[in-house]
Amino acid sequence: MSLPRLFLLCIFLLCHQPALAASKPWVKLTPLQQEALAPLAKEWDAIPEEQRQPFIRLAKRYPKLTEVQKQRMNIRLQRWSKLTPEQRKQARDKFRSFSKVPIKQREQVRKMVLEDEKLTSPPPTNTAAPTDSAR
Amino acid sequence: MNKNLNLSQQKITQLLDRSAAQIGQPVLQRLHHARMQALARYEARSASPALAWAGAWRTRGAPQKTYFFAAAVLLVAVLLGTATYWNQAADSDTSDLDIDIAILTDDLPMDVYID
Repeated sequence: MSLPRLFLLCIFLLCHQPALAASKPWVKLTPLQQEALAPLAKEWDAIPEEQRQPFIRLAKRYPKLTEVQKQRMNIRLQRWSKLTPEQRKQARDKFRSFSKVPIKQREQVRKMVLEDEKLTSPPPTNTAAPTDSAR
Repeated sequence: MNKNLNLSQQKITQLLDRSAAQIGQPVLQRLHHARMQALARYEARSASPALAWAGAWRTRGAPQKTYFFAAAVLLVAVLLGTATYWNQAADSDTSDLDIDIAILTDDLPMDVYID
């Protein structure tokens, strides 16, 4: 293969790296990706390729999360994957709106929601487990 | 003709010296002037910018290995630059991803943001 062709191939591969990972079946994902996306293991191969890409990008961030955050993500990921793109967009919009609320009010809302969560959720079997009981 | 071919180097030199001795002073002066001009042009060209010389390195018989090595180094540099660029571009274009991560890992339940 000539040098220019090799060069173009490398550029192509670099540009399409996430898309290539998203096209892989579950067994071909890296161990790290499998660990991050474990809740989606069963349905991964049935998820359309174009919808897998955001999860591949989530998996890339997974190693940087704390243990508690990892547990929360594992609990929430499956439900998140079931949402339609429109529902996810609405959720992001709400998050953005909530982020614009003054921090004092935000903390009050946060406190209220967490207290409400404690009252409505059954007592946890594992004290170290994060909130967000199975929904 | 044969006589000319048989001329030795020494004879040629003698002939040239004899001919040079017969040249008149005005002609000698013009020749000297032309020589000085040629030398001046040569020195000016030798002092031309390094890039002009560098551009001609390949035509001066540099081995093909050197050319290939230079091309490979350039290729690696471009690839590294491209990879870095795309990684940074992917990271900077992640406002949605950042929010997804926040929703999925925040201490607030996900229901707060989902209808």
